[in-house]
Amino acid sequence: MYIRGEKFKKHLRLIIPLVVLTVFALAILVPILFMLISSVKHPLDVFEFPFRWIPRRLHFYNYIQAIAGNDGNYYFIRLTFNSLFVAGSIMCLNVLVASAAGYGLTKFRFRGRQVIFVLILATMMIPFETIMIPLLMLTIRLRIQDSYMGLIFPVMLTAFAVFLMRQSILTVPDDYIDSARIDGAGELRIFFSIIFPTVKPTAVTLAILVFRESWDNLIWPLIVVQSQKYKTLPLYIISFLDEKYTNEAALMAVAVLATIPIFMLFFAFSRYFIGEGILTGAKG
Amino acid sequence: MGIKRRQYWGLIFVLPAVIFFALFSYLPMINSFIASFHSKDIISLKAPVFVGFKNYIHIFTSEDFINSIKATIIFAVGCFIPLVTISLLIATVIVSLRRIPWIQNLFKMIYYSPSIVSGVVSATIWLLIFDPRGLANQWLNFIAGNPTPVDFKWLALPAMARLATIIIYFWKYVGYFVIIYFAGLVSIPQSLYEVADIDGASGWKKFLSITIPLLKPTIEFVFIVAFIQCVRTFSIQYVFVQSGSPREPINVVSLNIYTTAMQYHSLGRSTAMSVSLFCFILIFTIVQLRIYRSERVSYV
Repeated sequence: MYIRGEKFKKHLRLIIPLVVLTVFALAILVPILFMLISSVKHPLDVFEFPFRWIPRRLHFYNYIQAIAGNDGNYYFIRLTFNSLFVAGSIMCLNVLVASAAGYGLTKFRFRGRQVIFVLILATMMIPFETIMIPLLMLTIRLRIQDSYMGLIFPVMLTAFAVFLMRQSILTVPDDYIDSARIDGAGELRIFFSIIFPTVKPTAVTLAILVFRESWDNLIWPLIVVQSQKYKTLPLYIISFLDEKYTNEAALMAVAVLATIPIFMLFFAFSRYFIGEGILTGAKG
Repeated sequence: MGIKRRQYWGLIFVLPAVIFFALFSYLPMINSFIASFHSKDIISLKAPVFVGFKNYIHIFTSEDFINSIKATIIFAVGCFIPLVTISLLIATVIVSLRRIPWIQNLFKMIYYSPSIVSGVVSATIWLLIFDPRGLANQWLNFIAGNPTPVDFKWLALPAMARLATIIIYFWKYVGYFVIIYFAGLVSIPQSLYEVADIDGASGWKKFLSITIPLLKPTIEFVFIVAFIQCVRTFSIQYVFVQSGSPREPINVVSLNIYTTAMQYHSLGRSTAMSVSLFCFILIFTIVQLRIYRSERVSYV
């Protein structure tokens, strides 16, 4: 009897957490499932009572409507390209410039090095909302508003990125660099063929985080872009939402389409997202 | 190449970043300060007029901005408390399953997935859930056992609109903090708990006297990040207002900065709000760091 009691207790210690976690997981998954299921429902069934989790009839036409838009202008395709291009460019520039800065700040001893590092870190304290309007004015004065350059350059770098790459490059042994110099490698060559490959895991993590954040960004594209052809996907969803004759099933189809690329990234690199350590410093 | 000359290569590597932060962080910050003491219409060509503290006096005496501060504080506190407590609870439960790592990973991935969905998409999904005909009403009526369905007016009543934005934000970010807590929790040495077991300590006692003190650095980090993130919220409120919710209860400071500049074209007032937000976040962070620095614990 004693042994059975022990065993039962041991099982209970496993079952209770599992039940708690499963209930919470279902609660978290409901909106995502709602989006997926509604996107293939007939528009009239999205608000049916009671809500059916297995659609009565499948209606893939929603996706065609999502891509074509309410007036059939197919802007969705162009704006998907915009989102991919802008997020991709910001990702590349961010990683490149941040690594270069990290290299310069760790492996060289020039005057003012510490001051520069502190001044860069201090910008972490500036919330983007505080500078967005003057930043827009500056963008207008530089004549890059309402363009890809305006979407990319003013938001391409963060202090966090520089900090992350600096910490990572600090761990590259000086001997590697010195021996490459003795072999006659130039500084640029050392950067691209020694530093960069060594810190690749950090660079990949940073790249993913940056891509996701740019993909998600609403506020900067919202103020810097006016013309339809430079808009990004979050703006497409908002304009789709604004149109009163939008049907909700097509709206959910747009939501699914806008989420697919980022979910693919998530599943391909999930260990970078949910792994320990690095994420802890992300987002600001 | 001489040692001295080589060091200048460092400057060349740092230069792009320096130019970026000078041009796109410091310059706008300085301009923000300057503009907040001037009166200027964004789209007019007239030169700005120096008005001293008039913009600040105006915003701090106007009902509109005071209401924004109130809306932001209600939202931030309403999100912050459940975010930092429930995520710790969930992370603790996940850690307790250390024998089955794949289940740990599975749950971490599920909880993290809403963080991947973009802010606009999350707000859009929830708009349909909170629709008068939507799931939220259906389920609440079912739970309450109402014979005739009641419309809870999630998007129309001020208090419900606030609650709705808080629910969305919680849903979106809880997993992010679960993962941060998880990383902190697994770094606590298991031997401490084994010693406590020998001493016959209860689960709750172990949580209070081992987990919490040793998790302190993580908790501090989560507190600062979570609060600042909540204060800076924008997307959800923007989508709500766009789709016809009442503006007032959810007119958070960032949304107000945006509207004041982009719709009312008042650069001075908008930047005065920006500078106030900046000062608030700065003071908050400094105070938090001061408090934390005075109380460090180490058992190892």
